[in-house]
Amino acid sequence: MRALLLPVSVAALLALGALALFTALQPAVAPTRVEQAARLATELRCPDCAGLSVAQSTTSSAATIRAEINAQLAAGATPDEVRRHFVQRYGEWILLSPTSPIAWLLPIGLLLAACVGLAAWLLRWRSPAPAAAAPVAAAELRRVRDEAEALDA
Amino acid sequence: MRMLRWLILPLLVIPLSWVLLTGFSVNPNEVPSALIGKPMPSFSLQTLSGETLDSADLAGRPVMVNFWASWCGPCVTEHPLLLDAQRRYGDRLAIVGVIYQDSTDAARAFLDKHGDGGYPDAVDEGSRLALDFGVTGPPETYFIDSSGVVRAKQFGPLDAPALQTKLAMIGVSE
Amino acid sequence: MLPTLGHVAIVIGLGACAYAAIAFVMGGRRRDPAVLSSARRAMYAAFGLAAVASAAMMISLLTHDFSVEYIARNNATTTPPFYSIISLWAALEGSILFWTLLALGWSGLVLHRYRARHAALMPWVGMTLALVGIFLFSVMVWPGNPFTRITPIPIEGNGPNALLQNHPFMGLHPPLLYIGYTGLAVPFAFGIAALITRRTDEAWLGIVRRWTIIPWIFLSCGIVAGAWWSYEVLGWGGYWAWDPVENAALLPWLTATAFIHSSMVAERRGTLKVWSMGLVIATFVLTVLGTFLTRSGVVQSVHSFTQSAIGPWFLAAIVLALTGSVALLLWRLPDLGDRGAPPRAVSRESAFLFNNVLFLGLTFVVLFGTLMPLIFQATGGQRISVGTPYYNGLNVPIFAALLFLMGVGPALPWGRASWSSVRERFAIPVLLAVLAVVTAWALGMRSLAPLLTIGLAVFVGSVMGDEIIRGSRARSRGRGEAPPTAVWRLATRNRRRYGGYVAHFGVLIMAVAVAISSTMAQSTTATLAPGESATLAGYTLTNDRLVVEPLPDDARVTETRAEMTFSGPQSGTLATALRDYPNSSTAIATPAVRTALGEDLYVTLLSSDPKTGSVIVRIFVNPMVVWIWIGGFILALGAAFAIWPDGRRVPAAAPAAVPAKVPARVPAEGS
Repeated sequence: MRALLLPVSVAALLALGALALFTALQPAVAPTRVEQAARLATELRCPDCAGLSVAQSTTSSAATIRAEINAQLAAGATPDEVRRHFVQRYGEWILLSPTSPIAWLLPIGLLLAACVGLAAWLLRWRSPAPAAAAPVAAAELRRVRDEAEALDA
Repeated sequence: MRMLRWLILPLLVIPLSWVLLTGFSVNPNEVPSALIGKPMPSFSLQTLSGETLDSADLAGRPVMVNFWASWCGPCVTEHPLLLDAQRRYGDRLAIVGVIYQDSTDAARAFLDKHGDGGYPDAVDEGSRLALDFGVTGPPETYFIDSSGVVRAKQFGPLDAPALQTKLAMIGVSE
Repeated sequence: MLPTLGHVAIVIGLGACAYAAIAFVMGGRRRDPAVLSSARRAMYAAFGLAAVASAAMMISLLTHDFSVEYIARNNATTTPPFYSIISLWAALEGSILFWTLLALGWSGLVLHRYRARHAALMPWVGMTLALVGIFLFSVMVWPGNPFTRITPIPIEGNGPNALLQNHPFMGLHPPLLYIGYTGLAVPFAFGIAALITRRTDEAWLGIVRRWTIIPWIFLSCGIVAGAWWSYEVLGWGGYWAWDPVENAALLPWLTATAFIHSSMVAERRGTLKVWSMGLVIATFVLTVLGTFLTRSGVVQSVHSFTQSAIGPWFLAAIVLALTGSVALLLWRLPDLGDRGAPPRAVSRESAFLFNNVLFLGLTFVVLFGTLMPLIFQATGGQRISVGTPYYNGLNVPIFAALLFLMGVGPALPWGRASWSSVRERFAIPVLLAVLAVVTAWALGMRSLAPLLTIGLAVFVGSVMGDEIIRGSRARSRGRGEAPPTAVWRLATRNRRRYGGYVAHFGVLIMAVAVAISSTMAQSTTATLAPGESATLAGYTLTNDRLVVEPLPDDARVTETRAEMTFSGPQSGTLATALRDYPNSSTAIATPAVRTALGEDLYVTLLSSDPKTGSVIVRIFVNPMVVWIWIGGFILALGAAFAIWPDGRRVPAAAPAAVPAKVPARVPAEGS
């Protein structure tokens, strides 16, 4: 029974992963105009609030921009054109996420570098460790330790 | 090599304090206009007196477009300057008031109370013109030269020196 | 009279702190207990003086003494007593006075508690805390005097900031946040003292850990209560907008949380000394930076204070604290060599280290995002905005990875893990997680974030459950205790570990609630004539009537209130209002929030027409929001359980040099 658990878990995880991959690879249904408008509204800043999107804000200028987004999409504009329309008038300031690649690449790069660095450090230090004990002994040792810890030695 | 670690200190402190220091010189709420150097958005709006105001009719003259509302406190402070500007430069300069997210009744009451300069005040249905100018909140004033190009923007209420400087940028002076 | 007393108290307070700083250094060098105890008394006196000044301010606020500029600007004769009292911290100068009071309260508490212990460390701890006191008092003596007088004395004051007098929660979250914020000066002071005296051993780490967790609990509660406040007050239906004020509170919380985790590795293995010290310093500097950002007016925010002369002082404090402490750390670097062997690649230690990398990743994203508008302004003059799409885009994957580690870490043993143990411990949790995701999918949940969060939460929850079952089973088998007794005894005898599980359980609840409430909320805007109804997500709302009348407890405030009946999963009546304050150009929304365990009905009045009685309302149905507050409470509870004094044992970390009674009398004030 216990021996079956692991293969079953791994199989379940793999199946879920495959399902997710399959769903992701399905030809994406083109977003409807309502979905496009909703997405744009979360990306544009409400001009007279501090940092809220026009989707979140309840001010009338936010309502006006939402209406303008709908009107432009209805007139056949692409989401990019709508974005450009507002950037031409308000500047990059109207977009809630910066377009500069540094804004994204710097944190991602640093985080990846830190993870790789840490992994390298951990692995480098593993090699000069004393010769590994036999696997059975290690498992035994672990069990003893765990029990001890559970009882709070 | 050991001394190199001391480099961390200036590398940490100098950029941080520099960035924070520059923050003092800028009003974080002020958004510079993206329209500077670009043509003024065109419009055709009803005025409070019921006439139609078309941007084409303003061509060839310097224009000052002032977005205001009766509910906006600083608009009261700057209002006398606008009346004064109309008196002094009304022959050379077209002043246009645009009512920002306000009812026409409230706007009329504001003018009755604080004085009507005699220049047109346009009703901006659905804030379309405010969006075209990139207005973030009243009062905001845009200065357009006689060739129809936006030259300057005042964020917040006008004061006499700012008005002088910005009018000079569109070729209006004593 | 009272304002003069307050001002004099502040000036003497500055003197007391200055004396204390000098006396701590002199007494510490000469090992003179008389001088040291006079220094300590000077710090108690400084606390007393800050209390006198705060009381003078509070009474002056209650009696509406408009000869004081602060009171004329932030109070009116009609302000209700409750809001008069909390005006002590609702604006800039008063908040610094309150801040000083709390910082000196922490200082007094720590200096008193350790008055007879850690003789080598304490003078330097005292000196650092006295320096913090000198800075805060100086700000109040020079650029930010809360008792500045005005003439002529106005007959009526301006009244409190409308947004801040709209909800009683204003009395709750700022004090919690400030207590947490100011308390983080204590671990910093111990860090500086340890660096100066070269006593960076495990005893130091134990004290700093405890004195980080206590303010951390307050800070956590303050952040959650602040989110709750903005949910109840701001009217946009959400609770977190990555506003600079929120980020400023979150930044030191993130580094303090990283320290709480890494210090367990450091304590156990005698490693990571530089790292731990760096986190302690970073946490303190981030509290000063956060204060600067919210109090200097350099960033745009919902409720930052106005631009003021205080800004340059705080900038100077950042530069001094950062330069001084980092220089000290670099100078003592040779002493901070690690004794123990570094951890194995697959072990609980390494999971904690990856946890730290991720927490610092979050810290970097939040700090960089908050400063980015300033950086762009300084380098190219371009104005940019950094908002929710940026922060969520980068932080949500990091949060997911942290959740995963939260399950992995506790299941891996300290030291080294064998493949068989990993296999045995993770098989069931993985299976349950997959089942949970499939069930949620089958029930109709389609968005990725909540599915992933639920899967991870079930994984982590079942790993923890498995740990608890194993431990208590071993115990009840060994001692013949009933299972509940075994669990309780196990937990109380191993508080740190099981308190940690409780805290993690709170985080799981919050994670699921945030993922679901932020992706599955529904909203609509409806224009309703009297008697008309709108429907959303099973709820029907009817506009009963529109009332325009002055507030009963403050006649200067006009309330426009839409009274509505609602039915659906919950039913009853609600009133959502817009309030016109005489000192605010825009009306302040007072949303109606009807909370249930499943979802909140949240209605904001946008505008109304008193002639026809028709209203425009935004209706939200926000699922599971209440679980965020519950999860936050459990998180704080778990942390308090973990550090609750336990008379029965000496922690393994306490070195023999420390008398055994010390850990037995660990402080409980903060919890």
